[in-house]
Amino acid sequence: MQAPSKQLYQYPLHLIFHPFDGYWELKYERNQRTTLLIACMIMLLLMVTKILHAQYSGFLINFNNPKYLNSLLEVLYVMIPVLFWCVANWSLTTLMDGEGKFSEIFMSTCFALVPLLLIHFPWIWLSLVISAQETAFYYFSNALAVAWTVYLLFVGNMTVHQYTPAKTVLTMLLTLVAMAFMAFLCLLFFSLVQQIVSFVVTIYQEIVLRG
Amino acid sequence: MRKSTWNKQGWIIMGMVCLLWFSQQAAPVSADGKQDAYQYSYWGDSVPAPAAYEATSIITGKKVNAGAFKEPSDMHVTADQRVFVLDSGNGRIVEMDRNLKLVRTIDSFERDGKEEQFNNPQGLYVSDKGDLLIADTDNQRVVHLNEQGQLVKVVAEPKSDLLQADFQFKPVRVVMDKGDRIYVMAAGVFDGFMEFSADGTFSSFIGANRVQVDPVEYLWKRFATREQRSQMVMFTPTEFTNLDMDEEGFIYATSGDRGKDPIKKLNAQGTDILRRQGYHYPQGDLMYTNEAGPSRLIDVDVGDSDMYSVLDSNRGRIFTYNGDGYLLHIFGGIGNRLGQFNTPVALERAGDRMLVLDKALGEITVFEITEYGRTLHEAVRSYYNGDEDQSSVLFAKAAEMNANLEYAYAGIGKSLLRQKDYAESAQYFKRSMERQGYSKAFLLFRKELMREHFSWMMSGLFLAVAAFVTVVIVRRQKRRTTNASAK
Repeated sequence: MQAPSKQLYQYPLHLIFHPFDGYWELKYERNQRTTLLIACMIMLLLMVTKILHAQYSGFLINFNNPKYLNSLLEVLYVMIPVLFWCVANWSLTTLMDGEGKFSEIFMSTCFALVPLLLIHFPWIWLSLVISAQETAFYYFSNALAVAWTVYLLFVGNMTVHQYTPAKTVLTMLLTLVAMAFMAFLCLLFFSLVQQIVSFVVTIYQEIVLRG
Repeated sequence: MRKSTWNKQGWIIMGMVCLLWFSQQAAPVSADGKQDAYQYSYWGDSVPAPAAYEATSIITGKKVNAGAFKEPSDMHVTADQRVFVLDSGNGRIVEMDRNLKLVRTIDSFERDGKEEQFNNPQGLYVSDKGDLLIADTDNQRVVHLNEQGQLVKVVAEPKSDLLQADFQFKPVRVVMDKGDRIYVMAAGVFDGFMEFSADGTFSSFIGANRVQVDPVEYLWKRFATREQRSQMVMFTPTEFTNLDMDEEGFIYATSGDRGKDPIKKLNAQGTDILRRQGYHYPQGDLMYTNEAGPSRLIDVDVGDSDMYSVLDSNRGRIFTYNGDGYLLHIFGGIGNRLGQFNTPVALERAGDRMLVLDKALGEITVFEITEYGRTLHEAVRSYYNGDEDQSSVLFAKAAEMNANLEYAYAGIGKSLLRQKDYAESAQYFKRSMERQGYSKAFLLFRKELMREHFSWMMSGLFLAVAAFVTVVIVRRQKRRTTNASAK
């Protein structure tokens, strides 16, 4: 075995180029604790990349209004989709005879995000020195990163749950639907909470003003 | 007794509080204490701006000794700044000279030896030759008079297969091009403007607005029964509200609803060729409350150098755009101060002045251009005429007076680009959020930089590659020896 510090970056890199091997290792051979640590770090790095990207990427590709940039929101934009995906996927696969545990689903999802990280991070600096014609490369590599990530998600799902390819595709599509449901329920919940809070506040004000 | 004094004092105190409260509310936003002019930034936020025009006086019918205006509905200013007001309620046209002194009034004309009068005319146009065109609405005709007020022709009741049998010709606005073709905007016509040839025969419709379908409404309509459907509002194209013609004979038109394009520039075929390359589509206000609703554009006035202004009847504001569709300035408003209106209906430019006609009050507000407005217009003008050096100087001056004028920075950037100051130019383009210009300047800057530092960049790259290769070879060698020793 290599030194643990080396493992931290070598394993994810190995996984994205050899996903079948990599995910098999993830499920059956690796130390779960270390892998979870790596997964969390990947997510953290992705958040940092997202924030840096919004703030520092070149003028030609950056359409964010700096006035309304909010790092916490950027973090949420990474965290919420990943968590939603994991929860939705887990909820579904428990019903569909998937063999994956929640931690495995989370880890496989995070590892699938490595291409996004690898491609977006250098582009923060590269985008500073490109011209408008060259933004085509940026958009192309973006698309490439997304395609790669989707492929990794597919392989990860298949390996973690021990599914057939067709069933994996179906599960992934259903997961998207489930995510939409969850988003709807969350919005409903929050708007109801908001209404309750405003109701309580109103009553409190009434009492205070009367008294 | 005690109680009543308390009551009095209470009222006074309350009144004072109210006064303070309202005076705070009504305080103008701008720092210079003048009217609160504003602009929209690239991001669509409203930002303060200096006033481009300032109201100086109000002209009423009484003031010019023509008798009070009664619901005047249109106005036209000729190239030599003679002002024609269509006083609809009195059925007459009032002509004033460039100093706004009365010249004459026309309230009738002679037709076949008989005196005829106007009945609630709504639209007026004066051609370059001085010919008067009056949309004599309730008489269902367009009257064409020459400069002396003698009848040239009457256009009435167009006959065509394109028109329905029970068609009622109600002309509301009218313009004439250099070839004496007449374009009429008629009430209840959704097919565009009616084009009449020089002899007054109807030839065709041009420039119809497309039907705008609300998807939700469409869905409901699909499920509705025939009876229900007949109760629903029909999908009809939006009507135009006004039109104007520029020097080259293009028709500028406004439509009242917030469709996709409330302002259009129509060529001879009726195709919309308005340039919309500004930060936002020309449309009046970008930000509005739900109660107030979007701008309702009811008049357009084309000036020189492709600049045009539109009048928003909803909030009485005047928006001026340049030929590329960049918003230049906003002024006006609904209210009781000088420079605000009650029911603005028509807008005309008379040289450096801007005239706005108020229908309910029957008065014309005269706006004089300010130093800022003049600089900005001059800058746009010289850019339009190809004098980029002059324009960049003027843009710099305008930007000095209004740091929020992002549009001006691009002008400076363009001139710096030609002066080969690429780095500075890129910065100015960036400040102006002009991505194409920025890219061009940046590319040149990059090329220059590369050329300057090519030698050490290349040697650095070469050294880096060499170092990397050496490291790889050394490590491989090392591994081999350790492996060998392990065996």
